[in-house]
This record gives sequence, structure tokens and C-alpha cells, in this order.
Amino acid sequence: MKTIHEINIDNSSAVIDGKRIDTSRSGSQMLTELYRIYVNDYPKFFKMDILCKLGFIASELLLQAEGAPRFTDRADRADRAILFFNHSSSIQADKAFEETIRDRSDFFPSPSVFVYTLPNIVTGEIAIRNHYYGETNFIILNERDDERIRQVTEAAFTDPTTTSAIAGWIEAPDNHHFTAALKLITK
Amino acid sequence: MELKEELKTKLIEALNLEDVTTADIDDNVPLFGEDGFGLDSIDALELIVLLEKNYGIKIKDPKEGKNIFKSVSVMADYVAANRTK
Amino acid sequence: MVDPMIVKIADNITSPLGFTTEENYQAVKRGDTRLQRFVNKWSLPEPFIASLFEEGTLESAFNHRVKATLPYTRFEQMALLSAIEAITRSGIDAASERCIFILSTTKGNISLLEQGVEGVPDDRLQLSETARAIARFFGNRAEPMVVSNACASGVCVQIVAMRYLESGRYDHAVVIGADIQSPFIVSGFASFKALSPTACQPFSENRMGLNLGEAAATMVLRRVDEAKGYWQLADGAIRNDAHHISSPSKAAEGSFRALEAVLRRCPLTEELAVINAHGTATLYNDEMEAKAIERAGLLAIPVNAYKGNYGHTMGAAGVLETILTMRGLDEGTILPTRGFDELGVSKPIRVTKECLTTDRQAFIKLISGFGGTNAALRCVKV
Repeated sequence: MKTIHEINIDNSSAVIDGKRIDTSRSGSQMLTELYRIYVNDYPKFFKMDILCKLGFIASELLLQAEGAPRFTDRADRADRAILFFNHSSSIQADKAFEETIRDRSDFFPSPSVFVYTLPNIVTGEIAIRNHYYGETNFIILNERDDERIRQVTEAAFTDPTTTSAIAGWIEAPDNHHFTAALKLITK
Repeated sequence: MELKEELKTKLIEALNLEDVTTADIDDNVPLFGEDGFGLDSIDALELIVLLEKNYGIKIKDPKEGKNIFKSVSVMADYVAANRTK
Repeated sequence: MVDPMIVKIADNITSPLGFTTEENYQAVKRGDTRLQRFVNKWSLPEPFIASLFEEGTLESAFNHRVKATLPYTRFEQMALLSAIEAITRSGIDAASERCIFILSTTKGNISLLEQGVEGVPDDRLQLSETARAIARFFGNRAEPMVVSNACASGVCVQIVAMRYLESGRYDHAVVIGADIQSPFIVSGFASFKALSPTACQPFSENRMGLNLGEAAATMVLRRVDEAKGYWQLADGAIRNDAHHISSPSKAAEGSFRALEAVLRRCPLTEELAVINAHGTATLYNDEMEAKAIERAGLLAIPVNAYKGNYGHTMGAAGVLETILTMRGLDEGTILPTRGFDELGVSKPIRVTKECLTTDRQAFIKLISGFGGTNAALRCVKV
């Protein structure tokens, strides 16, 4: 496996291939700031929960660094896998949805919140954006364990269709605390 | 506030339509589909919640929603005729 | 060197239909279900149909079977009951450092958000913590993994386990699929208007949606050089629809691609006894699966689904349904599709209504879920 590009985002900084990207905000506002500067053509972003916003922005910056033509159905990229790992699953959305049902006399469960209570939605959001039909997988670990992540990613490449992947750690327990450490990897 | 305006405000809020103002939503533009406002199936479900929460209208079958959410105008007529609050 | 093979050496299904695979198998063969209408359950405003354990049965089975010194949630009790039986049958040393626990669940202990359980730490809401509590129960110290790919988790987990064992790091994997029902999940699916007001009818003309269910299912997997006499997980693939986060692709893109991938090393599709479909009985899922089966050229293969017996058991479904299909084929039986009457999808798939007999010893398990995730698994008994 070979790492082509690497992005690290936390609640106050975004670093691509070791180079820090200028930002002035923090938390989810920083993700919105990055969206405005580097993406700005995908209003679905505003509907996403924090985990998806983080994964979306991180993958956008990673793929912009790759510099290849985007949104094509070319097989080499259409088969790209998305393999994510975290600790808190979709806890922020879980809490938000629970709020909509807690009071049975004011009971309005929200479908658009419920859908994000499944952590793998972020892999789907990125697959949709990029027309990736490859493997998507979401695995929860007790803590960030880069060796474990490497092993599972390596094992995913035993699928002969998979020749490249966006893989790594993506943790967003709330709007103000998050970490993404994603890599664009080839076989 | 006029019902149509009110619906637009609530719609923008419930569907997280960032960068959209009530002035951007034409009364008669189709809300769903590529040629229209581009809302999707989850938005439709969220609109069902919106009607129940704000106007006491219960819609059991999401297919019914397709007819009701054709445009803001159609929606307003439906709400005016069926609201219980 | 021989390529290692991954085989299932023991299993268990713990569901409202029984506490062993055998009880479950006989129940499904008879066409039984515990799907039932609940009114005012958990003070929810709308009635719903689900397959739930009768109140207290899970707890009393657990207390009878296990002399636990620590408190466990209902979810954990169910998962443990299933894992204990499968591990006991397998004869493996589950505490060994060559054994790993891999869970498949969507919402685990989500009920802890609403109400705590005395003596259970709040952080057991985290899926990794509940997985750890389960592994530690058996004295296993390796960090477990939790596969959480919505409704497709139960097949994805087998694929993850299979590859992980192939890599040689572990000799055994204990794969547990489990989900308990709760106001959280029921109201979520209700908000999606996905719940059927009647017992669900997979692939049928009059299907009106899915029912939810709770269950746990466990497989003990082993890496071997010689698979004779065992069910082998031969090929698995996970693919995305790249279409929508909650609606399946009309072209069945992900499901078709997953099927295509597991057929790559299976040129003789006549060897397949059955395709055990997801068959949730929602309008779109069943239509999509029919389309995928047609695109893959498998219209001649019988198709069945067990949601009419269990409802949709979420993270358990893929594991439970794979075990049940294996058990059936062990005695040459293709199980019926409870609730199916008149074909209501646009492709002429062959949905089984009654038990069929077969001498074929291979099948495909198909599954899909939110997030556009689809998976297929081909199993063969050598």
C-alpha cells in the first residue's frame, strides 16, 4: 500500500500533506469556512451531521490534492473504496434524534436527523458525491489504533476490484471536537 | 404573515436550505425533481413532519405527499383546507 | 502453499423464535413468527408490529444460564446468550490471544440514552465499550471491532472477519450480530414511513413495508487448510450505490456489483441452491434486489427471505440469515418465505413460498442498507 495524500483535521486546523490550510474559525464553523472557500457547489453539505461534514470536507481536500478529474465514472476511480474508523459512532446525531422523541407529548421524530444516526452514512455521502461504487465500510474501535486501521485497510485490498481507497480515522463526538486523519491510498 | 410566506420560512429552516431566502422560492416552482427545487425523498418525509408539527395534519402515506408538495402554492391550499391548528 | 479457507465451525441464533439455531430452524421451517402488534408500547403514539422477546424471557434465560458477577444491559444479555452457546459448541478457547471478537450492530445500547441501567457505566452507550464488555466476559483481551454499516452490517462483518482471519493474525473469530428494539429505532423507521401496518410480505404485490425485530446470532469462524464438511465463506464483496443515503439505486448498481464480484470465482451458477435476499418488504428494497438478481443473470435461482419470521433484525439480520440458510441446506432444505403471496416486483424472480428440497450446497446471501451499502456473500459446503 502506498499513501498518495494525507489530510489531518481537528477542531481548529486543517493540514494537507503537512501543509497547514489557512482558516480563521474553529469547530463546525471552520468546516463551513472550508466549504465556502474550497467547495461551495454542494448545498447538501448543510444538511449533514457533524461526522458527515467532517468526512465530506476532508475527502474534498484530499481529492483536490490528488488533482485528478473529478466526478467521472472511470473504472479506476469508480471502484475506489472508503474505509472509515472511529470511536463514537454517530453519537452527535444519536443525541439530536433522541431529543426529537424524548417528550412523548411533543413527539416529532425527524427522518433527516434519524438517517445520520447510522455512522456509515458518511461513507455513502462521499460515494455519492464522487460516483464511487467501490467498497464502503465503517468500523468502530475503542481508540485510534493506526496499526489496526492499516491491517483492516490492507485486508480490504484483497478484493481485486479495490485498487485505491480513502481510509482512516474520523471521530466527531460533537460540533466542537473532532478529528479526521484520512489517507488516499493505492494498492 | 401570509401562509405561503410562512411555509417558505418553515421549509427553509426544516430542510436546512442554506443560502436560500423566501424570495428565492417561487410560489409555483416544483419543489421536487431535477427541473424544480431539487428536494429529495428525505426532504419529503421532513415536510410531512413539518405539517404535523405546525398544522396538526397527519399524512400516513408518503405517496400522498407527492401531490401535496408539488409547489408552495399547492401546499398552502392543502394546509388551509386541512389544518387543525 | 494452500490458500487458507475460512469456515464456520459453530453457531447460534437467539431470537423470539428460540434460543438455539435448531429451535429457530424448526420454527422457520414450520412458518412460525412472533411478529405481533404493540399498542402504546414504550408510550409511543402509534401502534407498530415487531418481533420482540416476551417481557422478561431474555432476562430470565440469561440469569438461568449465566452466573454473571457484573451487570449487563438487555442488548448485552442477548448477545452473550448467543455467543456463549456458539462458543461452547465450537470448543474453542475464546480467551486465546489468537481469537478476536467482531460485532455487527447498528444501535447497540442506544436505550442507555433514554434510561440508564443500574450498575452499567454510561459509556457502554459506545459500541466499542459494549463490544469490549462482551469480549471481556470470555476473558478475551484483544480489542474487539464493531462493524456498523446500517442494515448491511451482518454481511459486512462476515467479510471483514473472513479477510482478517485470512491474513493469519488470528485463528478464530467470534462474529456476533445483534440489535435490540427500542423507541429510538421504532420511531426512526416510523418517521421514514417504512413500517408496515401488517405482518410484512417480502417481494409481494401488496407489501406495505417492513417490521422490526430483535435477535442475536453468532458464528465461530476458523482459518483452515482443508474445509471438508464445513460451510466455507468463499467470497464476499461490499459495494456502494453512489445514489442516495436512504433510497436504493433503481438500477441496483451496488447490489449488482457486489453480486458480480462474488460470482467471479463461481462460473457455474447452477451450483447455487438459493439466493437468500434481504427482502425487507419495502417497495424499493425488494424491487432493487429483483433488479440486481436479473442483472447478474441469476433469475433461475430460487430466492427466499426470512423477514416474515423475524422482522428486520438490523445488525443481526445478515448473520442470522446466513446461519439459517446453511442449516437448511445441511439437510437439503431451502426455507420458505413467510408472508410471500403474489410476486410484486418487476423481474420474474423465483421466490420460494414453501420448503424446497435440493442437493446443492452453495448459496448467496444478499443485503443492503442505508448509506447505499450493499453486500453479497457466497458460501459453499465442500
